[in-house]
Amino acid sequence: MKYFIIALFCGIALTAQNNHAHHDSIKNLEEVKVQNAAKKKIETEMKMAVSVDEFLSSSDNISFIKRGAYAWEPLLNNMSTERSQVTIDGMHIFGACTDKMDPITSYVESNNLAAIDIKSGQEGSLHGATVAGSIDLKRRSTAFSLEPKWKGTYQTGFEFNNKQFFNLGNVSFSRNKFVAEGSISYRTADNYFDGNNDEVKHSQYNKFNTSLGLAYKTSDLSSVRVDAIFDVAKDVGFPALPMDLWLSRALITSASYKQLFEDGLFRVVDTKIYYNAIEHYMDDTTRPENLVHMDMPGWSTTYGLVSKANLKKNSYSSEISLNAYDNLSIAEMRMYPQDRSNRTMFAFSWPWVTTRFAGLAMNNSWEISEKSQINMGGSLGVNYNYSKYVEFNWIFHPGASQEKTRFLPSLHAGYQLNIEQFNFSVGTGYGHRAPSVSEGYGYYIYNSFDRYDYIGNPDLKNEISYEGNASAGFKNDRFSIQGKVNYFYIQNYIIGRILSMGSPMNYQSVGVKGYTSLDYATLLNLSMNVSYDILEHLHWKGTLTYARGTDDKNGNLPFIRPLSYLTSLHFMHKNFGIQTSVNGDLEQINYSPEYGEDLTPAYTIWNLSADYTFKINKLRSTIQIGAENLLNEYYSTYADWGNIPRMGRNIFTSLKVSF
Amino acid sequence: MKFFNFLVIAFFALASCTLDKTDYEAETGLEIPELSEFKEAVSFTSGNYKVSIEALNGTFYKGYNELRLKVLNAQNNQRVNPSAVTFLPIMTNSDNVPSSCPHQYNLEYDAANNYYSGYSVFTSESDASGNWKLYISFTVDNQKYEINKQVTVEKQSNKNLNMTAFTGKDGEQYCIALIAPQKPKVAENALIAGIYKYNKPTTAAGTFPDPSQFSYSEVMGYTLKLDPRMPEPSMGNHSSPNNRDLTQQNDGFYHGVVNYTMTGNWTLNLILMNQNGLILKGTVVPSDFTPGVEGVKSELYIDTLF
Repeated sequence: MKYFIIALFCGIALTAQNNHAHHDSIKNLEEVKVQNAAKKKIETEMKMAVSVDEFLSSSDNISFIKRGAYAWEPLLNNMSTERSQVTIDGMHIFGACTDKMDPITSYVESNNLAAIDIKSGQEGSLHGATVAGSIDLKRRSTAFSLEPKWKGTYQTGFEFNNKQFFNLGNVSFSRNKFVAEGSISYRTADNYFDGNNDEVKHSQYNKFNTSLGLAYKTSDLSSVRVDAIFDVAKDVGFPALPMDLWLSRALITSASYKQLFEDGLFRVVDTKIYYNAIEHYMDDTTRPENLVHMDMPGWSTTYGLVSKANLKKNSYSSEISLNAYDNLSIAEMRMYPQDRSNRTMFAFSWPWVTTRFAGLAMNNSWEISEKSQINMGGSLGVNYNYSKYVEFNWIFHPGASQEKTRFLPSLHAGYQLNIEQFNFSVGTGYGHRAPSVSEGYGYYIYNSFDRYDYIGNPDLKNEISYEGNASAGFKNDRFSIQGKVNYFYIQNYIIGRILSMGSPMNYQSVGVKGYTSLDYATLLNLSMNVSYDILEHLHWKGTLTYARGTDDKNGNLPFIRPLSYLTSLHFMHKNFGIQTSVNGDLEQINYSPEYGEDLTPAYTIWNLSADYTFKINKLRSTIQIGAENLLNEYYSTYADWGNIPRMGRNIFTSLKVSF
Repeated sequence: MKFFNFLVIAFFALASCTLDKTDYEAETGLEIPELSEFKEAVSFTSGNYKVSIEALNGTFYKGYNELRLKVLNAQNNQRVNPSAVTFLPIMTNSDNVPSSCPHQYNLEYDAANNYYSGYSVFTSESDASGNWKLYISFTVDNQKYEINKQVTVEKQSNKNLNMTAFTGKDGEQYCIALIAPQKPKVAENALIAGIYKYNKPTTAAGTFPDPSQFSYSEVMGYTLKLDPRMPEPSMGNHSSPNNRDLTQQNDGFYHGVVNYTMTGNWTLNLILMNQNGLILKGTVVPSDFTPGVEGVKSELYIDTLF
């Protein structure tokens, strides 16, 4: 089971999704979420109780910028979150922190998710304009049942390195016309210790998350559903940054109506309205080395609508999605002078920036024959920005537009061919994206990685991506191999460049960078997955990834993963399982000093875990014990902010009970 | 039941207090009352005539004051339009030595608004060491009226209307007074200053008050170079981009642009140059970013705060 989770990520082909959608037993409306037919467990090969971040990191095309032990920023295809669409059940949510301390993935917990759906490149444009692709976090959604049914899971665990203690519980009740489900979780962790057994200060965290979902079947073929997630993180350390998080809160709510159709072209129409509010308060009072005390609160509020329709006729199937949202992002900074009787110094780092987006997207697929299939899709979005206090932006860009409307088209096409045990695919895509709030309107946003203050430019051009991708694979009973490649040529690539004017505002800073467009940048991602069943109960798997990113002067782009490898063995017999893996990166040769990178040496990590499944009365229980970084290697990766060391040896234990 | 508990927890957690969003309009108005209303600051009566001088907020402040003078018939309160209206502020210090300040001696008639306009740049506040008297003269029906009255010059609490007086390298006495913006924003601000010079008397003093002894004029065609910085040590000599030096425009004032990147204390570091580019006062300040060290100021500067 666990064995295939990563493979599921590799199968980012949209068609799999579509096909599943229609094989549901429509009449009984068993699945409220038709899309979720493909079950994916939120656990990795090594570990059954994982955080969302750990789960995501088990995917090939996801890597992470890590600023500590919490809230890792996911990079999709080696591109940062501005270039990807991260959504929760298709809902757009925007972090409230200018320093990216709160990627959307930090506002959910593994026990309120059912799956994470990753699409590479323009295939992800169904969720909005993107370059890198989309990451959709799919919430748990229990199906209606004929008989009243209670289900529940409780997970607890302790990790020794950072004394992480977690309790996750979720429970659901379902009847033929009604479903109620909820989850609650609490994680707390102290500072972790690196491979030299040194404490990494300010790496603690505390997270509380709860969710609630109620669904009601309004007719045989329709249902309504309301959902809410509430997440609080408090006293979270970010060792790589000059400040920590005092408090962040997210309230994520939605109400949806879903209609199924027994016949006709339309099969499912699912319409959802949503609202989410995020607040994020940084805290630098725990860092005595700070010269200036500064308050940096941020708020992000989004209203939106997402409506999806699935169509199918004979060998043709299609998914249409309408997306609209309104987001207001506000971030402030208030610096306190050393003589507190003096006036405080205030500025907006996001000067009340409104983003409105409306887009219509479509993915179509035709099964030309048993063996081959064509996918084609496109979207057109309108993106509108408004900066309320545009005078902040005018300081660096006099006369810049206060309002800006952009049209964001996207197209993609692909062809898949399966010949006996071989499979091939080729695809291409074209798409625009609008600059993010920070890139467009950010004002003195301190980046502690390259130690520059960043200034946005409201009149940046759209980033335009041209991509190509291909894959080839072979699979038989025992052996499978799959190779994938994608290449992005990104015109008007947005990145920070040193400005000759202005001087830093944040005292740690060394200068000012402005977001500017490079003529182009290119990115190449390669991956190779191999698996082999050595014996009936012994499986081997290996993964190799490589990426290369260069700018228009052939210089290196930052945060590009060097050659990395993962090899794992998994033995499972009856109720007992044992797995071990070795992974690592080679030396990061193609680093970018311009963006604060230095050469990151190679590292290798060895992990080991064992689990045992048993029954207490009627409770299915699994215990697991394992160790990550068994050899206590001292290392940091290419994407560890400020080269903070990663966790040393970590022994973890967990128990999972479900009924 | 459990769900209700979640909801209750969620509700209380949401309702608990956190930082409020900053009301930016209130934030920038915190320190600075913006004055736009002219009120009578002083009135004199001479014979049949009443002279009323209006200033912003009805108060004379240290620094630049725009003045509006009206003459009325004291009996029927009708406006009269005298000719040759003159205005002369004189400060007498504790040693009884008189001096003046930059001012417009011959007030101009503003026909549209039916008053006489002028200005005065009071260089000090009224206190024990000196007090100010205004000497006004005007002519109605070929009769000249001369009156004077002591006035109070108040402290200018708005630092954005600060002024500085100094002696240039050419030995002349100069005065630079900020006129706008009254209420700066974190933005590009149009910066307006008046630059004045004391005209050294060439003749011996006549009857007091002899205007030739107290003559000031706007300097013509100079350049005021601008380098705004935040003096706060933790700001490390922070500056802003896209500022423009001040040059004289048709209204006689010097216009430039100052960008304030955030609220708080700022120092306008200045260099005054004459028509030939000769520096009369001011030094180039270091542009290094020096966290923890208070920025070095030019020898010619004006502090602002908003």
